[in-house]
Amino acid sequence: MTPPPTPPHVLPPGAVAALLLDTTPYLSCDECFERMDTHVEAVLDEPGHHDLAMDRHLVGCAACAEEAQSLIALCAGH
Amino acid sequence: MVSDIGRERLLAPSDQGATRPPADDGVPEDWVSALSSSGADQQAAMRALHDLMVRAAAHQVWRMRSALPDASPGTVDVIVNQAADEAMTALLRKLHTFEGRSRFTTWAFKFAILQAATDVRRLQWQHREVELRDLDLERVPHDTHDGPERQAEGADLARAVAGAMDTCLTPHQRRVAVALLVDGVPIDVLAERLGSNRNALYKTVHDVRRRLREDLTQRGYLPVDSSRTDLDPHPHATAGSS
Repeated sequence: MTPPPTPPHVLPPGAVAALLLDTTPYLSCDECFERMDTHVEAVLDEPGHHDLAMDRHLVGCAACAEEAQSLIALCAGH
Repeated sequence: MVSDIGRERLLAPSDQGATRPPADDGVPEDWVSALSSSGADQQAAMRALHDLMVRAAAHQVWRMRSALPDASPGTVDVIVNQAADEAMTALLRKLHTFEGRSRFTTWAFKFAILQAATDVRRLQWQHREVELRDLDLERVPHDTHDGPERQAEGADLARAVAGAMDTCLTPHQRRVAVALLVDGVPIDVLAERLGSNRNALYKTVHDVRRRLREDLTQRGYLPVDSSRTDLDPHPHATAGSS
């Protein structure tokens, strides 16, 4: 049976998860941008590279995440 | 007629790599010195830098082409060129801050990617209204399904989050959170409409998340030591449990 359509103005599961993300330690979008080039090179050079502040910011900010993924893709093919 | 540049911009990045010479051919070894110099050396460096900007902007517009209201070659050409020009201006203003901790090309690419992505999002939303609304608590599901336990827990958590949004957040925080995280308005689009900036809105959302997590942890919906990485939208913890 097809579930009924989700009515507008509710909190779908994706939104609940997005609202409850733990984005600490705090990193601003400007700081993310400043670090993005070195972060991307570190990720490409060392696939297991881990930077908690960057990782959490990128999970919590869709725009920065898209731009970081794009930079990885561009540099990987460069 | 599509220009050569326009055709290149409609190719996938992998195709571009196959048909174009490497961007580093003939570029200065020391970008900062060359760009800061004068005369022919500077002009050559500026042209090489612009090529980098165009390449990165084209790459970004390609990634987001499905969001464009008009992805015709001529329109893409204009978007890419404008983004490349603006990114180059932004980069040159920041040139003195380049410390060589990454390759110059990587550092330069990020300016064009940021600008092109922002431009595409703005075009995507240029004819769309951004509604700054509060959450409609009446429409948050109550006992939505007779289905599996996890579904009931999910609805329970959704109600708890909605309640926390009502009691723990300011109206501004609620509206920003709903616009960004429920309605999916891009952060730079919302920033532009509100006369704000990406940093300020992200900080607002960060504070929203912190307050919601604190409240839901206190009420037993989230485990005390939970972290973002193990967050489950249908957690096993239920109201009143720890």
